[in-house]
Amino acid sequence: MSRILDLVRVAAAGLTARKVRTFLILLGPILGVGAIVSAIGINESSKGYLKEQLQELGTDLIVANAQDSLGGFGQNPRIPEDAIGRVARLPDVTSVTGTFQISNIVTLPFEDAENYYRAFPVPVIATGLNLPTTMEVPMVSGRFLNDFDSSNAARVAVIGRDLADEYGYLRGESRTISLNGVSYGIVGVLDWVLLEPSMDSAVFITFPTAENDWEIDNQDPSRLYVRAPTNTKQVSEEIPTVVSLGGPDGARTSVPTDLLDAESQVDESLNNLTKLMGGLALVVGGVGIANVMSISVIQRSSEIGIRRALGHTRSTIGVQFLFEALVVGILGGALGALAGAGIVWLTAWMRGYVMVLSIPALIGWGSVSVAVAVIAGLYPSLKAARLEPLETLRLG
Amino acid sequence: MIESENLLSLEEVTRTYGSDVKVHALREVSLNILSGDFMSIIGPSGSGKSTMLGLLGLLDIPTSGRVIVKDVESTGLGDVERSRLRGQTIGFVFQQFHLIPHLTALGNVETALLYRGLSVAERRQKAFESLEKVGLSERCDHRPVQLSGGEQQRVAIARAIVTDPLVVLADEPTGALDSENAENIMEIFAGLKSPERAVCLVTHDMEIADATDRRVSMKDGSIVEDLVREII
Repeated sequence: MSRILDLVRVAAAGLTARKVRTFLILLGPILGVGAIVSAIGINESSKGYLKEQLQELGTDLIVANAQDSLGGFGQNPRIPEDAIGRVARLPDVTSVTGTFQISNIVTLPFEDAENYYRAFPVPVIATGLNLPTTMEVPMVSGRFLNDFDSSNAARVAVIGRDLADEYGYLRGESRTISLNGVSYGIVGVLDWVLLEPSMDSAVFITFPTAENDWEIDNQDPSRLYVRAPTNTKQVSEEIPTVVSLGGPDGARTSVPTDLLDAESQVDESLNNLTKLMGGLALVVGGVGIANVMSISVIQRSSEIGIRRALGHTRSTIGVQFLFEALVVGILGGALGALAGAGIVWLTAWMRGYVMVLSIPALIGWGSVSVAVAVIAGLYPSLKAARLEPLETLRLG
Repeated sequence: MIESENLLSLEEVTRTYGSDVKVHALREVSLNILSGDFMSIIGPSGSGKSTMLGLLGLLDIPTSGRVIVKDVESTGLGDVERSRLRGQTIGFVFQQFHLIPHLTALGNVETALLYRGLSVAERRQKAFESLEKVGLSERCDHRPVQLSGGEQQRVAIARAIVTDPLVVLADEPTGALDSENAENIMEIFAGLKSPERAVCLVTHDMEIADATDRRVSMKDGSIVEDLVREII
């Protein structure tokens, strides 16, 4: 035991004596383990974040887009207005809302901003009155469009939350917005719609208003949002038939959360790629250790010679250098794991993720670092052990 | 009077280098180093004295002949046994001091006591005592770079004697020192004389050799003269 302690002391003294070189040797395992731990940790944390979002959003919203008879999306495909009623009557459906985005409208919060808003137009959406219910999104200010607005084709609008921020709209403020020069009174602000972020910067008006003011021909929507808490997949498959009834007008459905769900699955291939890259970094680090330690053996040949003259055996000299590699592996692995964990924590904190870090993985990758360092240290250790003391001591 | 004991012997030792073209560095040399000896091996460059030092110090293996350390025939030993025997019986002092640069004077002396089952405290105590013997205890925490040449050689001597070896072998111990420091070092070597120990200096400097009690002269790989004090 005292022999092992002596070896550890000698190895530690050898490493601390040349701090810059030791730091350079340590960089390999630190970067390798740090890269692996941080990449896997950030990947897992972001997936954890997506899963959390999914739980918040629910997975029962279906989006049905109008599709023309050729199977593609025509110039202005629409869904017949009466299809909304048919979809709403499906057993598992709790809410349906139709929308239609009107093109060629320049929306201005104030006159001076015309050039900017011509370049970056704000979407204007004609919508059914139950959009907040279907999207399960509350109002942050005022109210949504109602029957009165609809039956009177009133020039009132609801705006998305980002647009409200952009306009500097104050809660409850009496204010108008100009759509191609026609003023609309803002009656409310809709909160963020996580599953349809484009709505956050949109202006909402009723279908009758849109038909009156903007000549959209009829009140047929181009998109349906359908909430079906049960049998969502089955409902999603039924909607195209219910919409078309065998006719030319159809719809293609998708469930937005499916995409998020797919993203949130542990992507094995990405993880494997990450591990491969980190492994490569570790191997490069290992080559660095072998390289620097080999040079170190040459530089320390006099020390090796005198130790041999003092009675240290070949194996003791070899093990001494192997212990130096071992210390580098342990220290590098631990520092790398710490650095990786730190990066994961920082990223999670900055992006609002919940930090996910596997302790067995940390220990595992730290151990890989130790193994790589020891394997890398084998050649220099053998080289040191084989040095002949007479060759290194240069007797007079 | 204590009778001298044979501590280290070469028996008809030959050392040849090279395989195609053979160079005979030593030719059937026999030598006995006895307890109480304070001796020198002297000879010009290429006479074989460094080869002899390597063989006496168990750092090299003879091509033929035997090297015997206090009744133990060393030539047939493996690395572990030979290293152990070397560490227990022989202390080295080199011309270039060969101190380990990142260790203090105390650490350098301690190195000779590593892997012997001693506690750190025991090692430090012995190393300190050894440094005291060469008058360097107050500089025990200095690194080699902070010491003069003479002081470095004194640390090397302390390292050589800390294990209480049977034979102290010194290779040109004053070769890198000025005359004043050389004189001091020779005084220390003379002080190491003891009935149980032998001190052997390898040198080409006749003045150093004359300061010893026994002078072995070498030429062309052979011993040509072996004189003791009375005859010198």
